[in-house]
Amino acid sequence: MTGKSIIPEGGTASEDPLIRIRRRRGMALVGLLLFLFATVLVTTLMGSLGPIGGDPSSERYISFDRAFNILLGSQDAQSATIWNVRMPRVVLAGLVGAGLAAAGMAMQAVFRNPMADPFIIGVSSGAAVGASAVVLMGVAGVLAAFTQPFFAFVCALLTVFVVYRLGTIKGNVQVDTLLLSGVAVAAFLGAITEFMIFAAGQQFHQLAFWLLGSLGNAGWVQISIMLLPIVVGVVVIFMYSRELNVLLLGEETAHNLGGSPEFVKKLMLAVAAVMTSVAVAFTGIIGFVGLMVPHIMRLIVGPDHRILIVASALGGAAFLMWADAIARSFIELLPVGVVTALCGGPFFLYLLRRRKLRGE
Amino acid sequence: MGPNGSGKTTLLRCIMRYLTPEHGAVLIDSTPLHTMNEKELAQLLAVVPQSSNLDFSFTAYDIVMMGRLPYASSRFIGESENDARAVREAMERTDTWEFSTRRFNSLSGGEQQRVIIARALAQDPKILLLDEPTVFLDISGQFEIMDLLKDLNREGLTIIAVLHDINLASRYCERIALLNDGRLESIGTPQQVFTPENIMRIYDLDVLVRHDPVTKSISVVPKTACVMPTSGGPRVHLLCGGGSGGEIMRLLMEEGYSVSAGVVNVLDSDFENAKTLHIPVVMEVPFAQIGDEAYAQNLRAIEGAEMVVLADFPVGPGNLRNLEAAIWALKNGKKVLIIDPETIEKRDFVGNRAKDIIDELLGHGAVSVPRKTDLVKILKSEKGVK
Repeated sequence: MTGKSIIPEGGTASEDPLIRIRRRRGMALVGLLLFLFATVLVTTLMGSLGPIGGDPSSERYISFDRAFNILLGSQDAQSATIWNVRMPRVVLAGLVGAGLAAAGMAMQAVFRNPMADPFIIGVSSGAAVGASAVVLMGVAGVLAAFTQPFFAFVCALLTVFVVYRLGTIKGNVQVDTLLLSGVAVAAFLGAITEFMIFAAGQQFHQLAFWLLGSLGNAGWVQISIMLLPIVVGVVVIFMYSRELNVLLLGEETAHNLGGSPEFVKKLMLAVAAVMTSVAVAFTGIIGFVGLMVPHIMRLIVGPDHRILIVASALGGAAFLMWADAIARSFIELLPVGVVTALCGGPFFLYLLRRRKLRGE
Repeated sequence: MGPNGSGKTTLLRCIMRYLTPEHGAVLIDSTPLHTMNEKELAQLLAVVPQSSNLDFSFTAYDIVMMGRLPYASSRFIGESENDARAVREAMERTDTWEFSTRRFNSLSGGEQQRVIIARALAQDPKILLLDEPTVFLDISGQFEIMDLLKDLNREGLTIIAVLHDINLASRYCERIALLNDGRLESIGTPQQVFTPENIMRIYDLDVLVRHDPVTKSISVVPKTACVMPTSGGPRVHLLCGGGSGGEIMRLLMEEGYSVSAGVVNVLDSDFENAKTLHIPVVMEVPFAQIGDEAYAQNLRAIEGAEMVVLADFPVGPGNLRNLEAAIWALKNGKKVLIIDPETIEKRDFVGNRAKDIIDELLGHGAVSVPRKTDLVKILKSEKGVK
């Protein structure tokens, strides 16, 4: 500091509000963690094959007691159900939920808009084309069951690349142009996908099912493929959260504060693209998680990305676990995307109400 | 400073290295800008933009803390004690500590600008760049900011600001750089730079420049907004002083009269007024009574005029002879108009002699003008009578 400093003796009363806010945020995070843990427990025990919504007389029925014992390690005829069907599904939901929420948060920072979601750069439309093409053409081949995810992933990344190129001028990412190019490309690819739906005929249901987003293909193999990209992605976003804070102030200001806006934008786009593409490849298009979770978390823990990323990841995981538990408990094979979409409407109405009450 | 499009903001952006110059280079203390890394630059130079638009609910404290980004040592560790102290000092320096927990968006324009300045100070810079920092502020906000900047400058911070207000710039800045069309046209003190010639050349505007030595402010007035002497109109001589003549000079000139004035001492504001309007004026040294030579000059000026207007100045021993000149004018057939003769008793500091003279003038046909604003109306009707 140039000039005289005016540091008062010790901490004054005005110091307390800051500490109070920090403590509140810390408690919110701990609360979230506990909630997540509880969610894992409960959702693993839920489901049409088990305690809720099942037929007690069926031999596949698992009671709470029995399920709990299985979790604690006891051998049971239904162990396989719990460990190879239920658990992976819950873990997948957590992973995808966390990944989409984190990517959504990063996109909201890059576009300086709390209404951005992780599909804004073309991932969903690209993946849809890839996945639909595989269904229509009946391609199998070397990858067998992994053919569809592979093509979805590749097409998603290619699409993001095209959107990125369209939205970048002289090596500088122009966020407004990027948004428009995302919309344009999505529209075009959406038309192609719609055509494929029209041409699908017998495979219509298969196609539509993928598009609605589902965790039905959960397995430990899928999880092992997705684990690294998503975990690394979340960590990288956390590492750059101070730069994301500063990015919200505008390109020029971010530059003046040494926040490397160009580099951070490109990094976030790449990370979000990979995380989202990997998730979408295996689960189809699960909407609203990437938009709602960071938005709600921001209302609870504030806009500081260092805390927001943790809250979003935990919140996204818990949210999708619950959504999937509800989806599979009431109607078997209901795509989780339907449940998340159902949550979307009331969410926006709530936001609208908040704005009206605040008199904006 | 400079007209729109002259390159002020572009120059600023080159200095902050947001843009790369096509020709030439920016050096700070002989070190070329492009050799510094981003963190170094951010620790040396801080920028305050015109305004800050934020859609997110950061508190003022959060905003100022962002100024510490150039000092972040690791991506996993949060703020250090140093950071917290720097933020607190910066906010106290700018009188913003009291809103540290309030949302930035809820602050007024002036408060927001002070928080942004605090953020710039938290960067612990040697140089502060500002782009029209007062443009969205009301008058109290403007002076708040400029006074703060002046204090910071006295404490050793180099400040470069793009300003559009000549008055503000001349009051607060030591040096002015005047830009035009991407080139530096003039650089120097406000008095050196703000000349009518420079302003004509750069802004294509014909102006009068007035200096106020007390406040150091310069006011620039386009000539079209003020009246200039016309030749050919009937001549009116104005007896004035003590500031009573300024408005009358303008009123008369607007109506197309050519005006002369006297006797006025050189420190009188009516002398300044006459000079500004290029009105020939009979002058006297300050604190002296009107001497014979000045008096004779005054009478000669009256001789050349068709009418004489006697303004409502306070009359003392020093300028009593201006009243006597009015008597002379009347006796020599000139029309005499007296502004606000009713108040002469309050303005009489020569023991009623002024009142007597006024009464005498009125008795011999001088016209009373109750208010200055009636002057023009009465002049016109008098013209008709003539």
